[in-house]
Amino acid sequence: MRPQLTQALDTAWCALGEPGVWWSGGERLRILSEARAARQCELCRVRKAALSPHTVAGRHDCATDLPAAAIEAIHRIVSDPGRLSEAWYRRTLEVGLSDEAYVELLAVVAIATAVDTFDRARGSPPRQAPAAVAGGPTRRRPAGAKPGLGWMPMLAPEDVTPDDPPLYSSAGRIGGNVHRALSLVPQAMMQFWDMFEAMYLPQDAMRDFAREYRAISHAQIEMLAARVAVLNQCVY
Amino acid sequence: MDGNGGSGVAGDADLLAFADAAIGGDDALATARQAVTARLGADATSDAAAVIAGFDAITRVADGSGIPLEPPKAEATAAWRASLGIDEYWDKKV
Repeated sequence: MRPQLTQALDTAWCALGEPGVWWSGGERLRILSEARAARQCELCRVRKAALSPHTVAGRHDCATDLPAAAIEAIHRIVSDPGRLSEAWYRRTLEVGLSDEAYVELLAVVAIATAVDTFDRARGSPPRQAPAAVAGGPTRRRPAGAKPGLGWMPMLAPEDVTPDDPPLYSSAGRIGGNVHRALSLVPQAMMQFWDMFEAMYLPQDAMRDFAREYRAISHAQIEMLAARVAVLNQCVY
Repeated sequence: MDGNGGSGVAGDADLLAFADAAIGGDDALATARQAVTARLGADATSDAAAVIAGFDAITRVADGSGIPLEPPKAEATAAWRASLGIDEYWDKKV
């Protein structure tokens, strides 16, 4: 296994226990626990099978005491991401979650999903949760974030200020929409993308067809990516 | 495409079975993993697992944030998206 891949996964995993921008380390670990519990949630299973998830009422099988809005967001992101909608997003936030807290939660769920799926695919047991690091969230919102692209405000490359982390500075991150998705919380965006680019390819390598960067070819990589997008009914 | 129903990508059937089993969480995962390793090697199996897992995550980032297609991609795919009715699906999600 590539050392760079091992290191990227370990770094992203350990960071789950560190204080974030809108959640503490302990809260981020509860998001991880809840994401794992969602995979066995009976309500999520029934909703996933239903013609519309909104036709099935009930209570999630929870593993934590996170707020109800966070529980709903985590379980739906894990179990039925292809049928998330802006209306669902607005309803979930009305129950008690900010845009910023949702974005960081989304990043934590995504990292937990990536690492757990990787370990399962490799035949390795699930990792133990990392240790929680003391400290509170910094609660810094990028001043240049603007609404209009997705459901929540996002930070475009041209709106990044010297006070913001260098979220678009590495490996040809050009600010495509998928790069911007988590940009309301630059730290979370960078944690996700530093891991993801080691698993897939950095932007520059993605379009460099003169060279292969992995033990599988560009064609094999894109075929796998497309298959997973279909399996997850990805709308984007 | 190779004209014989395959993609023309080396090891396509084994890789797709690996992706299906890894995402589906089914009992065929060990067999699928062994098939990829036997055909493409251990390093390829690790890198395939990484791509599968990475896209299991990034699909959630994309669909959990409501980002649209970038304009060049939207223009390039407009005709076949319309023929498949995919745009209607997006508009009718509630």
